[in-house]
Amino acid sequence: MTDSSLIQVSGLRKIYRGAEMPAVDNLSFVVHEGDIFGLLGPNGAGKSTTIMALCGLLKINAGSIQIFGLSINQKGAEIRKLIGVAPQEIALFPMLTAYENLAYFGRMYGLDRATIRQRVDHLLEDFGLKEKAKVRVAHFSGGMKRRLNLIAALLHRPRLLILDEPTSGVDVQSRKMILDYLLSLQAEGVTIIYSSHLLDEAENLCSWFSILDEGRLIAEGKLKDMPAMNSGSRNLEQLFLELTGKRTRD
Amino acid sequence: MKILATIRKEFLLLVRDAGGITLIFLMPLALVIVMALIQNNTIDEFLETKLEVLLVDEDRDALGAELERAFRASPNIRLIKQVDHEALTAETARRLVQRGKYKTVVIIPKDAGAMLQRKNKNAVVRLLAHYGLSDKKPVADALPAPEIQILFDPAIKANFKQTLTSAVEKIVAHVQSDGLMDEVQTHMGKMTKKPKIKMDLSDMIIVRQENAVENNKRGMPPNAVQHNVPAWSMFAMFFILFPLAGNLIKEREEGSMLRLRLIAGSSLPVISGKFIFYFFVCLLQLLLMIGVGLYIMPLLGMSKLVIGTNYPGLLLVGFSVAMAATGYGLLIAVYFKTPQQALSFGSISVVILAAIGGVWVPVFLMPEMMQSISPYSPLNWGLEAFNNLFLRNAETAAVLPDVARLLCFSGTTLGAGILIHKSRTVL
Ligand SMILES: Nc1ncnc2c1ncn2[C@@H]1O[C@H](COP(=O)(O)OP(=O)(O)O)[C@@H](O)[C@H]1O
Ligand SMILES: [Mg+2]
Repeated sequence: MTDSSLIQVSGLRKIYRGAEMPAVDNLSFVVHEGDIFGLLGPNGAGKSTTIMALCGLLKINAGSIQIFGLSINQKGAEIRKLIGVAPQEIALFPMLTAYENLAYFGRMYGLDRATIRQRVDHLLEDFGLKEKAKVRVAHFSGGMKRRLNLIAALLHRPRLLILDEPTSGVDVQSRKMILDYLLSLQAEGVTIIYSSHLLDEAENLCSWFSILDEGRLIAEGKLKDMPAMNSGSRNLEQLFLELTGKRTRD
Repeated sequence: MKILATIRKEFLLLVRDAGGITLIFLMPLALVIVMALIQNNTIDEFLETKLEVLLVDEDRDALGAELERAFRASPNIRLIKQVDHEALTAETARRLVQRGKYKTVVIIPKDAGAMLQRKNKNAVVRLLAHYGLSDKKPVADALPAPEIQILFDPAIKANFKQTLTSAVEKIVAHVQSDGLMDEVQTHMGKMTKKPKIKMDLSDMIIVRQENAVENNKRGMPPNAVQHNVPAWSMFAMFFILFPLAGNLIKEREEGSMLRLRLIAGSSLPVISGKFIFYFFVCLLQLLLMIGVGLYIMPLLGMSKLVIGTNYPGLLLVGFSVAMAATGYGLLIAVYFKTPQQALSFGSISVVILAAIGGVWVPVFLMPEMMQSISPYSPLNWGLEAFNNLFLRNAETAAVLPDVARLLCFSGTTLGAGILIHKSRTVL
């Protein structure tokens, strides 16, 4: 393991109560500082499970997770202070306005009022939501909710950002806005874990790819280095079908 | 502060939830008013009823005036002199009672006053003649006595008959003794050429009624308002679990709770902020219900709520009940996974605890078996404490045991709630 590794996962295994198959099985990977780490795979591959385990919100059956050199089992709270997470489900109060949501989460991160105002104004501006600051989230479109869900993970300026399908269900404009912003964060040195089942999108964004299927890691590396890529697949999607077969996963 | 931010957030969520507001404030209001109105007769009849009395005064003299004054002053009697805007005659009044429209009529016949005066005069003359102070001759005994009639509906309870008859007798005796005294003065005045003096014989001896009240004594019956206001306030406060659990589980399902879990060090402020906010909502409910008892109930023809004078005690009891109710709601909210489970278990359990505790039917009307288990319900502790303050004007020390129970209950449920909340991983 190199010095630049931020996350080390080894032998991760999770079987949900009552499930026959493990949702994640014997999963090991390393995330390097400054990467946009693509955690890819079809629905049910185990991406969200892996992410919840990284956040320390899941009881895992086996394996170890180290983030910033700390074990998630022992130092979960400390680690959570340093990471920003945008869960797959929109995690906002629908009956509060965009500003009220962010202000509340900002307070819970322990930020003071002035800092919150300044950061929230900036972020809303960056994500084209400035005019919607006083609108209740319940009235937001899917794309707007996604953007706000992401903003809420950025308030405390985390060094590590974990995003679970941050572009699912959004329009083209929202998607572009989100992806551009992530690239600018990467340029500032933020490490990003990016989960998606949309492979063409990941292809342009991520600097590292880990592909899961049915809870197992089936391929990883830089895109150009992947062996299957050289054996004729022109893009990630083809590679993926080659690796996993054409059976639907739901 | 994180807790303040949470309180503010809960406030915003609640005021934007019309259904929640209705549930918290309007439903209990409707409940307490309807229940008090329904039970107004049942409990009051059990205790004391305002008896409607028709009064037919064909005499129009001191006797009628005194009876009228006494009836009007009595809290248990409603005097009726007119029916359908017509003054009553002996005949119509008798018929009204026979038909069962009214329970009782008092008839003072024509000239009753004059007859009484003549009898008084005769008695005094006889007295003075006997002692040789007058040479007037008394009339032979044949003077007729005036007859005051009281007619009762046969269905009326015996103790009402007894009460009314003795009330009338008392007033008549009073009028008679006044008349007698006046007559004596008339004669004495003639002999001594001195003016009359005013003699008030009404307070020569006083029989005072009072309920034998001892602090902390159980089982003194309250009336409909006294029972229902604290009882349903308690019920409404424990029903805080509905918005509390509904809101918390909704946050879990909507995902905002997940984000809060992702924020280190937020779970305690989140839970305590919720607790504090709903605690104040509970207190507000209580205030509202007491307000209803004081100002709305009298407008609806019910008696005004009596809250005693021990306000610090009242505050203490309200505080503990709100703590207990909020703690219970919080425990239900974090323990159950789905809103259906939480809300159905929560509401049914509160209804049962309320029934056991004497909210629906006052404990003193319960069968003995139920009376023996009712002290196990937190709602009973609160109700007893309120009754002690309201009805017995108890000192704070008298309600401390119930307050301690409520606070223990609150501490236990709140502690368990926090532990469960913290230990729950999301998946
Ligand atoms: N709470 C849960 N209880 C039981 N099974 C679950 C739960 N969450 C996910 N699973 C199962 O675990 C597997 C992986 O799910 P998930 O991690 O959500 O996949 P992905 O995010 O890649 O779509 C799926 O088979 C899913 O059905
Ligand atoms: Mg997922």
